[in-house]
Amino acid sequence: MKTKYIFILCSLMSVSLTSCGQVLDYSTHLDDYVTVMNYRDGFNILQLTDIHWSNNSSTMSSKIYLNKVFTEVVNHVDKIDLVEISGDLFMLANYYHITTFINYFEAKAVEYGFKYAVIWGNHDHHGLYNPNYLSKEFARANHSIYIDLEDNLYGRSNFVINLKKDEQVKWQITNLDSGACFSETAIDAFRNYDYIRQDQTDWWVLEHQKVGETVPNITYYHIPQQDNQRLWDEIHNNGATYKNKFFKLEEFDSSEGEEYASNFIETAKLHNLKGAFMGHAHNVDWTVDYDGVTIGLGVKTGTELYFAHVDASSDDPAVQEGLASTGITENFDLIGASLVTLKDETGNFDLEHLYLNERVNGDFIKWVKY
Amino acid sequence: MIKKYFNKDNFINASFDEKQKRQSLFVSALLIVIFIFSSFTFFNALYCFVDVAGSIVSGSLDVGIRDLLRILPIILSAFMSIWALLLIHATYRNVSEERRLRSYKKNAITLIAFAGFNILFIIIMRMAGGYLSFLEGSPSASYPLDALLYSILYLGIGVFMLLYLRDLKDKIPYLVPSRGPIVNRCRFLYCFGVSIWMLVSLFTFSGFLFGLFIIDFRHGHQFYAIMLLIAYLISFLFLCIWEFYYNQLIEEKRRKFLFPLAIVGLVVSLIIIILYFIALGTDLDAPSNIGFGVLPVAFTASVNLGTLVVVFTPLIVSIVALIKGIIARKRK
Repeated sequence: MKTKYIFILCSLMSVSLTSCGQVLDYSTHLDDYVTVMNYRDGFNILQLTDIHWSNNSSTMSSKIYLNKVFTEVVNHVDKIDLVEISGDLFMLANYYHITTFINYFEAKAVEYGFKYAVIWGNHDHHGLYNPNYLSKEFARANHSIYIDLEDNLYGRSNFVINLKKDEQVKWQITNLDSGACFSETAIDAFRNYDYIRQDQTDWWVLEHQKVGETVPNITYYHIPQQDNQRLWDEIHNNGATYKNKFFKLEEFDSSEGEEYASNFIETAKLHNLKGAFMGHAHNVDWTVDYDGVTIGLGVKTGTELYFAHVDASSDDPAVQEGLASTGITENFDLIGASLVTLKDETGNFDLEHLYLNERVNGDFIKWVKY
Repeated sequence: MIKKYFNKDNFINASFDEKQKRQSLFVSALLIVIFIFSSFTFFNALYCFVDVAGSIVSGSLDVGIRDLLRILPIILSAFMSIWALLLIHATYRNVSEERRLRSYKKNAITLIAFAGFNILFIIIMRMAGGYLSFLEGSPSASYPLDALLYSILYLGIGVFMLLYLRDLKDKIPYLVPSRGPIVNRCRFLYCFGVSIWMLVSLFTFSGFLFGLFIIDFRHGHQFYAIMLLIAYLISFLFLCIWEFYYNQLIEEKRRKFLFPLAIVGLVVSLIIIILYFIALGTDLDAPSNIGFGVLPVAFTASVNLGTLVVVFTPLIVSIVALIKGIIARKRK
């Protein structure tokens, strides 16, 4: 009798461990990934990235900083429509941080009338919470735009925001989960950063084709793909003349190895991709135009984990190149936010970087247009 | 066969009277409670420390120092808990009553010093604006107030121990015969090795418990997730077997059982290692997708290096035990 109960218990446990709900096929459920917002000319997308709340963070100080960013942005433009939080919201955090973070952004969303979209960064996988909990909380929050389906698509935060006017999609904003990291073999001592997988690119194309090839698209993800480094090298080593601006004061920290190079940019640029914005490398906000696509890192938001102190007197060529491109002549910290303003329905947009440093004798605030 | 290893005459408490047995049980229970406290505070401190290390490695020394000052009470709380663990351990570690008393006193004063410093530090930090409030938040909603209360608790324990010791001579203190002293040969190496093993076990105990809740079993990767949990469990279980079985044996049986115990440990460790690497090899995306929280060191260093420490610790312990077992057999 006892053996019978043990057998039943073991069977139930193995079923509960291995059973997943029905796994959706992304190619046949494209509508499930879509949220709709109203479009207007002058639609403002504020990108915050790498906020990095951790056990060590003073959430109180961080909120004071974020308040200043929001105040500055709404003083600069009439309204924030969408906040894109492009990964690494947390690192080594716990349930307290998630609750506090969501409560804060919900309050700000009500105050300023925006929606906020959340993308996974590599460090968001790295906390004392179940990843499903994070997903559920963001999916449940009233003003958050977040979709994580149990599907056969790599990653969690792959979803689309269609900006509509007069029942027509005018712009498409796509969010991709660029993963965390992976082992190349079981016995490797070091890890490689993740990359946008082929199925994600295929899904992106399908979602875009669904709204029509003429609809311009901006995509946000966390980890820069190998294109960023390739373009930097083409400009600095081969004399390519792509328009570029801002700072590159460390490596992009993309995946290493040609076999892990994503073809996302190369594919998406054939389908009206206008901008690809990411985060990850805090000391970089370098942006470049490549075949009609603006590819760039957002400005790291806040002072958690690490950030660059830009020394105007430095003889580092990368610092001087960044200073020359922005016209800044004084020392400052490379933290703040990035703002995209959609100008019209034909794919034109403005990009501005905000550098905001808290200082005792008046904060340093500088807007630089791309 | 199994009965041979669990015969009650094998254990030191076979010769105890009822009062001694109660005392022994009490000390063991206390040890378990403080171990659990130490495990959670150590895990928490490791989380904080890894973040600080991340800032420094990434070139932001100023951020690292700022954060280190902010979370120093958490790191000191872990020290206090581990020190209390040593304090309890000292009750049956020394063969002479006088040595035991000295050890008690020394550890109690150290505990008071840690706790006192922590209390002062938190108050000064608040006054200097390092904390915007006693309820500034992170890692918990009530930080740093909770760290302050935790320190006051340990200060109380330390003071109580000292007051208790003051007139200990007039009392009959602790009746349980203590185990033999650590031999002087290789003493440093032994203490260092056991300390590292204890820290890994503190980490794996919390890692295992947290893992039950934070590992995502629903997103695939079940085989790897289960093997990771087993690796954590085994690492911690080996310490339990050492403390609550091997260390409770009488001297003669300890010498006799060490070799077979080491063989079993070695076989179990090897099976776990092989299965773990099969699980990882067949699912290389698993570590970063199941929930990395139980591997705080893994992210700043590498994915595998963090897990290797956990996976290989039981093997190293078994090999050391095997060598000791072989030496003990030869001496016989």
